[in-house]
Amino acid sequence: MTTSSDFAVETTSRAVGYNLPQTMGRRLWLPTLVMAVVAFPTALILSGVRAAELAATSPDGNRVAVLGQLVPAVQFVGFAAVFTAISFAIARILGVFRKGGSEIQEAAGSPVRTLRTPAAVRVFMASMMMGMVAILVAVVLHLVVAANVTTWSAESIETWSEALEGVRRAGVAVYLFGITFGLATIVEVLSFQSIRIGELASERAL
Amino acid sequence: MSTITNLTHPTAALRRRAAAQDHYRPAGLLLATIGLIATVSAAIVLWVGARNVADAERLAELKAIGFGLNTTGFALVKSAIAVVLMGILIRLWLRVDSIKGALATLKPDAVAPAPRGEITARHGAATETAATPQPLPIHRVAKTMWAPMLGIGAMAVLAGLAVSWAWAGNPASVAAAAWTQGLQFLGEALILAGISFLLGSILAGLREGGGEVQAALGLPVQTLRTPNTAKMFVALMMLGVMAGILQFALYLVVAAGVANPGAWFAWLGPFREFSLAMILSGIVLALVTIGDVLGFQFDRIRSILVTGK
Repeated sequence: MTTSSDFAVETTSRAVGYNLPQTMGRRLWLPTLVMAVVAFPTALILSGVRAAELAATSPDGNRVAVLGQLVPAVQFVGFAAVFTAISFAIARILGVFRKGGSEIQEAAGSPVRTLRTPAAVRVFMASMMMGMVAILVAVVLHLVVAANVTTWSAESIETWSEALEGVRRAGVAVYLFGITFGLATIVEVLSFQSIRIGELASERAL
Repeated sequence: MSTITNLTHPTAALRRRAAAQDHYRPAGLLLATIGLIATVSAAIVLWVGARNVADAERLAELKAIGFGLNTTGFALVKSAIAVVLMGILIRLWLRVDSIKGALATLKPDAVAPAPRGEITARHGAATETAATPQPLPIHRVAKTMWAPMLGIGAMAVLAGLAVSWAWAGNPASVAAAAWTQGLQFLGEALILAGISFLLGSILAGLREGGGEVQAALGLPVQTLRTPNTAKMFVALMMLGVMAGILQFALYLVVAAGVANPGAWFAWLGPFREFSLAMILSGIVLALVTIGDVLGFQFDRIRSILVTGK
């Protein structure tokens, strides 16, 4: 039968609070969500301007090319923001489990056992950072291309656009991969807490 | 149907079996890894395309292959997220059993007070009733709809992948391009809707489970009233799904033949991403609501442990 000792735990006499990522998650989920909610309609409006230019009788090639870089740049600022908000919301849930679980143990008069940072959390955080860096590097490079549409050849712009699309999409995939691990951590925490709470009654009996 | 019921409200025997076997978590992580490999492979196809911009036909062919593979990879990782959420759903019920058993022993003896109706808790407005409140209509919808949404979404993405091969065979075909993009992003939107409904089922499970624990102890059942974040979650999800269906319909218009398909594609791309963004924003709010409900429940458990009521 599995007991809480089968998990890697820290034991303290008092309840514990939120750790740094969980505190960040509590404070930053809303600003990042707002950033996403602003970015996507902005990208949609810019794409409407570009579509109107393409449909015009004599489209301005430079304007089309600049907007062709700005639309994905703004859109993927939005994706980076919404995935960060999801990651922060997951960290916030993990924080509630950590603080709430420890307070229950303290109230029951038992030693407070808290799960040590699981390996899945490390993968979650590393993937989140890698995904964010990949997307933001692509966004910056889109802006660089947009600033050079009058000086670079059409072939160079096309080459960069294709390459950056690959970088952006790989970044999103890494982010989603990390979110899967973040949620998998919740499964682990639920397993640990179910076992630990079950032990509290027997500890009181001793 | 029985599998769905087993997940959303498992019997005691199923809960015990789930404690011994946790297939959802490893299955989800494996699926996510396969999805990541597919998406990175698609990125490599795009980078090969970037080195072939002088050959327009070859570039268009690689873009078609890359698009189909990439979107399928995303769908796999999102399906992995759904599988892990199923694991969370079943674990929630194990937690209910464990809390119920522990509190029955640890709760100090006290006379249970009469239910007070509307109350204000640290986490917001709540109700105090004699029995577990009935599930909300949205909870019933969530429990019924998550599986069909995931299934139909996966089929649409796979159908789009098949069409993407036809598109790669004839890169100049506007109809094949439109069908691929419309189908695959309809599928992505439906898979995200399935994830949203699974999160709704988790919220329903928290509500029912919390009520079950309190009622079993003979205490008034405190339940958090639907927070604003939950209402916004539902609104954003519906907006996103409607936009996902609309983008599919508009791609069909393009496939049927329009005067300037380039102009249509220029804004339909960001529009389809907008639909996913709205559902993702709703998912953020669903996760925030789950955090708030858990915080409310931990406060309630602690209060029962300390005061016995």
